[in-house]
Amino acid sequence: MQLLKKRFLTPVFALASAAILAAPIFSASLASEDEAEEEPDTYLAVIGGDIYTGTGEVLRSATLLSKNGKIEQIGYDLYLPEGTKELDARGLRVYPGLVALSATTRLSQGTFAAGLDFHEFKPHADNEGICGDCGKDLEVIVPPALDPGEYSTEHLAVEGLKSDFDDSYDPYNGFLVMALGNGITTVQQSNTAIKLRRGRIDDVTMSDKTMTSFSWSGSNPSGKADLRDKFRAATNYLVEFRRWEELVKKDKELKEPSQKGIDSRALEVLQGRSMAKFNANSADDLLGIARLAQTNKFRPVIGGCVEGWIVAEELGRAGAYAIVTPRTRSDRTETLTRESGSSIENAAILHAAGVQVAVVPADTSIDMGGISGRDLLHLPIEAGFAVRGGMSDKAALESITIVPARLLGIDHRVGTLEVGKDADLVLTDGDILHYQTFVQYTVVGGEQVYDKQEEVFYAHIRPRAEVAVDAGEEVTEEVTEEVTPASTEE
Amino acid sequence: MLTLLASCLFSATLSGTPGLDVQPGPGEIGGVEVAYRAAKILTMALEGPLVVDNGVVVVRDGRVAFVGKERDLPASESRVVQDLGDMWLMPGMIDLHTHESGLSLYSGVNDLNDTVFLTNPGLRASSAVTPGNSSSMKAAAAGVTTVLYIPGSGSNMGGQGVLLKTGFDKYEEVEVRNPGSLKLAQAGNPERFAWGVNRSFMNWNTRDTFKRGLAYAKKWIAYENEPEEERGPAPLVDPQWELFRALASGEVQVSTHTQIYQVVLETLTMVRQEFGLDVYIDHGTIGAWRLGGLAEELGVKAIVGPRNVDTPDRGFMNWAGNIEAEGFRGVAAGYQQAGHKWVGFNTDAPVIMDEEFIVQAAMAVHFGFDDTTMDSVRGLTIVPAVAAGIQDKVGSLEVGKHADIIIISGHPADPRSQIAKVLIEGRTVFDSEKSPAALLAK
Repeated sequence: MQLLKKRFLTPVFALASAAILAAPIFSASLASEDEAEEEPDTYLAVIGGDIYTGTGEVLRSATLLSKNGKIEQIGYDLYLPEGTKELDARGLRVYPGLVALSATTRLSQGTFAAGLDFHEFKPHADNEGICGDCGKDLEVIVPPALDPGEYSTEHLAVEGLKSDFDDSYDPYNGFLVMALGNGITTVQQSNTAIKLRRGRIDDVTMSDKTMTSFSWSGSNPSGKADLRDKFRAATNYLVEFRRWEELVKKDKELKEPSQKGIDSRALEVLQGRSMAKFNANSADDLLGIARLAQTNKFRPVIGGCVEGWIVAEELGRAGAYAIVTPRTRSDRTETLTRESGSSIENAAILHAAGVQVAVVPADTSIDMGGISGRDLLHLPIEAGFAVRGGMSDKAALESITIVPARLLGIDHRVGTLEVGKDADLVLTDGDILHYQTFVQYTVVGGEQVYDKQEEVFYAHIRPRAEVAVDAGEEVTEEVTEEVTPASTEE
Repeated sequence: MLTLLASCLFSATLSGTPGLDVQPGPGEIGGVEVAYRAAKILTMALEGPLVVDNGVVVVRDGRVAFVGKERDLPASESRVVQDLGDMWLMPGMIDLHTHESGLSLYSGVNDLNDTVFLTNPGLRASSAVTPGNSSSMKAAAAGVTTVLYIPGSGSNMGGQGVLLKTGFDKYEEVEVRNPGSLKLAQAGNPERFAWGVNRSFMNWNTRDTFKRGLAYAKKWIAYENEPEEERGPAPLVDPQWELFRALASGEVQVSTHTQIYQVVLETLTMVRQEFGLDVYIDHGTIGAWRLGGLAEELGVKAIVGPRNVDTPDRGFMNWAGNIEAEGFRGVAAGYQQAGHKWVGFNTDAPVIMDEEFIVQAAMAVHFGFDDTTMDSVRGLTIVPAVAAGIQDKVGSLEVGKHADIIIISGHPADPRSQIAKVLIEGRTVFDSEKSPAALLAK
């Protein structure tokens, strides 16, 4: 996957960024390119927590040291440079920050964001009558096609990666703090990956236009044929182009194959500049997508994927990514002779078949109407439903961290805790997949940006006991494990 | 619409016909006795042990015949023993606020919201039941074995709810009690904010309806209390008011769509204090937990959900003023901390589906509900059973009660806990080993 995404500069956007460049804050960040040497390194040490790296390893009572926002070291008895800020994590668990796909744009833009979905709650997907729109918010906005002629690599080198969201990012909004308070540090906004930086607006865009939406639907056979043709033509073009690349070395006059009539979006996918994203649920459609992908040698991303469990092997062979909501329910269709409908085991079966499974909650907005447990803030609960269907806890954690990070092309920066990656951490008072667990601290880019006891939202619920340290004697926090009443029978 | 109707009909005919034309299985009516050995048995009994570790539950003729340690179980030659290893057993869950056992507003047919008048105590939800429809079967698979199927809240009295079992496809088999409740809806939904009536008239009219209904009941009580030979002609039977005889005698409860402090106070003072009726709170959210102490004192159970938290900023939903500016407040925790000992949960299915009933308990605990004596499990089982007056049949694993049993891998509030099997009256209505995915794997 491409790491540096080049941006299509529309005239409007060019003006907007020109305006931003004029603003003092950006002058400062531009200047820092030269003055980087003079700025002192900033260190943060998260000390004594059980570090769940997300790679399968757990380091008990270990320390994580971040330098200038990146993970410098994870281990024991680390040397802490002078001026290192310390965060006491004893009795807590340290996880990689969660990555939320298809998140409401309120997170980066505040209350007055247009919002991908602004309704209070969605009725269940079963009820076609009033829920024809369910899942609509999963659709990513189709980006304009990239035109290589418009690239400005010099510009990128100076300014860093930017997206439309840089212009509207609100680093002080309450929804952002709520998301941080529930462990989310990276979000997909439309087709852009945004780091939830609190109180600052630099480096918020992590990747842009990573996915290109395609439609594949059983109800539109000509659309399917059309798409198949487009991919075939793009594949043929690439073969022609590579042959030309070889031959042109000998015959300088040889004409480059024409791109005319080749679908630029399909080309983008085949060249690895973008991932092909489909929204499909029926087993027939999923099978069709899997075969299209295998024929044309790309890895599809499939949102919904409700009947994935029926064709999991095929999807696995196609190297598919699935974005699922494990608690989704849909009835079997009694008129079909094949299996149909949802299964709680969907996520587990897909994972077992080698499909990369990412989990999105039933409601990707933040529910301020009071129905908690199914909205964005409770992402781990949704992953819990994947475990209910037989997925391992480890895979469930991956489904809300590293897998979505891969989908967004930012797995080299977030999704697991590894040296060199961004220091985006969540400190919890228990298993992050347990329903009772609260996030106690959140760290983004090596800065502590959330402390449960310092914010209005959850401070009053099971207030964190002070960790008393007295001459080496430790009193760790109250363990929040499930308390089972003893049998009163005896 | 048509496809929906068709799928309903199909699912009614094709799915879930356990026990049909076959020998009754172990534990079913007429079958052999079966003993389930389990690592943990959450009895949820009001008296006696709440939890039995490494115990046994015996099911005979669809009823619980024994709960306890195996050493206390008399030997029997004909008994089948099933060892469930480290699984837990618990009573089937009870959801006292659903609209999913038949056609409803949500399936495009408005059988449940016939808002003819502001108060319609004569209308019956039982006439709209589709036994064995897909929602009921899915609820059963999720361990919700009993539901109160109630009219919507479009009017102040939508009609009479009916208490049903899920998982079976014959009305005779699913009915637990009819009428199950009088559905009262105060404020909120029945209000017509820009036109028509609002709270002051609604309260007047609701009170008036109660008065008329109870006057009707009184006539009948007076008539029935007369010695038979001295009785005059019987009062005229009026289906509009018949329900109030059952309400007056305490056989049936008032299930109340009520939320917001002021409105719940109206429920408590009007229905409970003024008319002395057995009433419970359904929803009970948006600041109403502050009445937890009074509700407990008056014996009014609080069945809360699906809004399970008061949020810091309600936006346009700010019906009750900025009640919780300072943070998220767990509703169940609020009642509990205000001194209420009878907090249960509901889903308002299909607002959220019964498969997510357990999330209500999970979120209650997350937001501060004390679960040290398994109050979250009580809230899914025995509390709603007592609220609905059906605790003699369901809500706990006790001798003589229905064998509505969930076999689950852990604490039911944890979404990660896997349900292996669900029994209703001893009959298996869900078996994870026979799920489509499991069968496909074979």
